[in-house]
Amino acid sequence: MIDTNNLTRKFGNLTAVDNVSLHVDEGEVFGFLGPNGAGKTTTVRMLCCLIGKSSGEAKIGDYSIDNEADCLKIRKMVGLLPENVGLYDSLSAYRNLDFYGQLYEVPEGKRRQNIERLLQLLGIWERREDAVGAFSKGTKQKIAIARALIHDPQVLFLDEPTANLDPEASKTVRDFILELKKEKRTIFLNTHNLDEAERLCDRIGILKAKLVAVDSPKNLERSLYNRKTIVHLETVTDDIVAAVQNLCTVKNVRASDNKLILDIDNPEKYNPEVVRAIVESGGNIQYVTELRSTLEDVYLKLIREASAK
Amino acid sequence: MRLWKSWIVTRKDLSVFKKNKYVLYSLIAMPIILGVVLPVIFIFALDAQTAAQTLTHNQLVAAANQIVGLSTMYFVLIPAILPSIIASYSFVGEKIEKSLEPLLATPTTDGELLFGKSFAAFIPCIAVTYIGAAISAPIMDYWSWIRLGVFVIPNTYWALIMGVIAPLSCIMSVEANIIVSSRVNDIRAAQQLGGLVVLPLIFVVIFASASAQVSILLALGISGALAVADVALFYLSKATFQREEILTKWK
Repeated sequence: MIDTNNLTRKFGNLTAVDNVSLHVDEGEVFGFLGPNGAGKTTTVRMLCCLIGKSSGEAKIGDYSIDNEADCLKIRKMVGLLPENVGLYDSLSAYRNLDFYGQLYEVPEGKRRQNIERLLQLLGIWERREDAVGAFSKGTKQKIAIARALIHDPQVLFLDEPTANLDPEASKTVRDFILELKKEKRTIFLNTHNLDEAERLCDRIGILKAKLVAVDSPKNLERSLYNRKTIVHLETVTDDIVAAVQNLCTVKNVRASDNKLILDIDNPEKYNPEVVRAIVESGGNIQYVTELRSTLEDVYLKLIREASAK
Repeated sequence: MRLWKSWIVTRKDLSVFKKNKYVLYSLIAMPIILGVVLPVIFIFALDAQTAAQTLTHNQLVAAANQIVGLSTMYFVLIPAILPSIIASYSFVGEKIEKSLEPLLATPTTDGELLFGKSFAAFIPCIAVTYIGAAISAPIMDYWSWIRLGVFVIPNTYWALIMGVIAPLSCIMSVEANIIVSSRVNDIRAAQQLGGLVVLPLIFVVIFASASAQVSILLALGISGALAVADVALFYLSKATFQREEILTKWK
């Protein structure tokens, strides 16, 4: 649904987006992670045909961002939630959505239906005639999300959807994104929030002008260190360590306090064998856990490496 | 260009103006000034002339027409000045509300957006001018009928000003202010620059309306030139409207 090939954008001597190539499937939730100034918003603006590119190619569906006629079609098929909600404070929630619905060429009946459905879903229907200026930040953000969805877009670009929101409002927004995920919409999510990216996204791209890594959150977490199995024992004896070391599926064994820290290639498959060996050599297992690097570890490592370059 | 799209933008802008007290009070003040102050001047001037009893009836009618001519000049100045309040707010207002990015993300062309915004500024400016005229003209006519037994309005000069020169000068001022509004990012700067841009326009429209008193043909010729200038300014506003610059450089 979204394809970029060496997409680049320069502002004078500054390269904001540097040869970014990525592919986002239909119905996929793709997270774009990166520090401030990494080029996330610039990428989204290029993909929404708001600003031009310096070089490279990009397509949304079958339409190219290079072509002016295609750009109008792209704008019609995408919904954008920018970093700033940008609603008209003096107008009502309903009037705000109705205005955008008209600009997106949604027929009147369908427009009314969509506004009601979205405002009901977000719990704002009863306050639809209130001026937006009177709403809290969280409610304004919900209205802005409804605005991005008013024309039932196939692709949704969300730029920092939970930034500056309190935990309750953030949760409402995240739950709503999960609902949209169920509807199989393609979602491109710019965020600083690693926890949010991990919970919502099928795949994550880490950007620091260049695309540093793209993978599923799980694979990214595994990419930093191999997964380790931790076996908590009543006591660790030399016999137990030797028994585990003798297993060809275990690459490395380290004993620490009453724990064994094991490097195993495929823990789901070989952990039972390890457990059997420990029990047979007289070990009393208390519990078995997994040690993983977090997405935060991976993100920080990759961003530091990219900055060092 | 799809005019129905422009009309959507126009209607939204009019709704926003309606809720903006600063804009609303400026608009309400104008018909009051035009509709009440001008007839008062007319009545006092006419009464002073008739009281003096030094002029014949025909000379008094000519004098009344001259006073009407002078007051009609205001109906050219006001639609030229008012857009510096309303049109200057056009894009800067969107900037203040941070609503430009979602607006530019819609499938709307620059031309549709600019035309819609221009029309939204034009409608209230020309409307208050006509409301002022609709209030002042009957009062002046009533008084001239009582004093002189003639109706001084409408006359050819008045009709030319109200029907042609006032709307053309309004469009010119709107376009100039829209260009300013899309280039600056602060409301005060927009209004100050808008005021400066309007100054030369005021001389142009005064010249146009003065020419109407000399020769109708000359006035029509100048009106034609004003119309061409209006179209040229619209295309200039399109050419100077840079989405990318607005999004990347406006802070």
